[in-house]
Amino acid sequence: MIRSVTFPLRRFRVEDDSMRPTLAPGDYVVVNRWAYRLRRPAAGDVVVVRDPEAPERFLVKRIFDVNRSRIEVVGDNEGRSRDSRTFGPIPLEEVIGKVWIRLRR
Amino acid sequence: MSLLYSLARLLDRISPAPIAYAHCDIPCGIYDPHHSQLAAHTVVRMNDLINQLEKPGTSATPEQRQEYTNKLARYLATKEQHAEMAKNEIRILWGDYFKPEHLKTFPELHDLVWKALKTASKARQEINLQAAEDLLKATNDIASIFWKTKGFETITAKAPYPTERQTVYPKYK
Repeated sequence: MIRSVTFPLRRFRVEDDSMRPTLAPGDYVVVNRWAYRLRRPAAGDVVVVRDPEAPERFLVKRIFDVNRSRIEVVGDNEGRSRDSRTFGPIPLEEVIGKVWIRLRR
Repeated sequence: MSLLYSLARLLDRISPAPIAYAHCDIPCGIYDPHHSQLAAHTVVRMNDLINQLEKPGTSATPEQRQEYTNKLARYLATKEQHAEMAKNEIRILWGDYFKPEHLKTFPELHDLVWKALKTASKARQEINLQAAEDLLKATNDIASIFWKTKGFETITAKAPYPTERQTVYPKYK
């Protein structure tokens, strides 16, 4: 997909509840894939990442810790989220980008 | 519903946006096939004990009969319990742990689980060492797949229990 290589913005539709109340199922997010070209990911950023347990799937989570080459993510709805507490830290190259715009349902 | 959202919806119809999961099962994430293997070992052991138990002959005293009945009843009760435990543990792995992605890599999984549950029922219903052995093998096969999905290699070694049957263990890094 050439567009995915060249264009920085990408839409995703949110499913499931782990990012409530920030994101709810049915919301759309626009992700900036160039967000981390000039600056490093920071704790608090909401990002779309590849699911470490299923590479063809994407997850939307919030960064809570950054170390040299990896980030740890959690869902805002901590009681109902599968995240770094289960699958550990995520390498930076698995980060698709930072959520830039949120379109609430 | 905002105008932008409507626009996004419209755009989604033309070209569907990929889904970003805010995935939400309870993050227990604690699964281990060892419980099912352990339960299967117990079922094997109970069959062994039942088969070793000397049956009272015609000249046995009431006390001897009572003792026999007591032992047999205890072995059977334990066998029942642990066969059911094995089924439950297998169901947890199947229903909660294994994901469609795992099934793509291990398409034999559904059939394996199905047969394991049937075998466990048989091992529960009957005094049947073969069924118990089959159950242990099934739990080993499931364990082997489980550890592969976790990225661990496995070894098959003699269990350090009186059953001494071959058992699949993960090679922890």
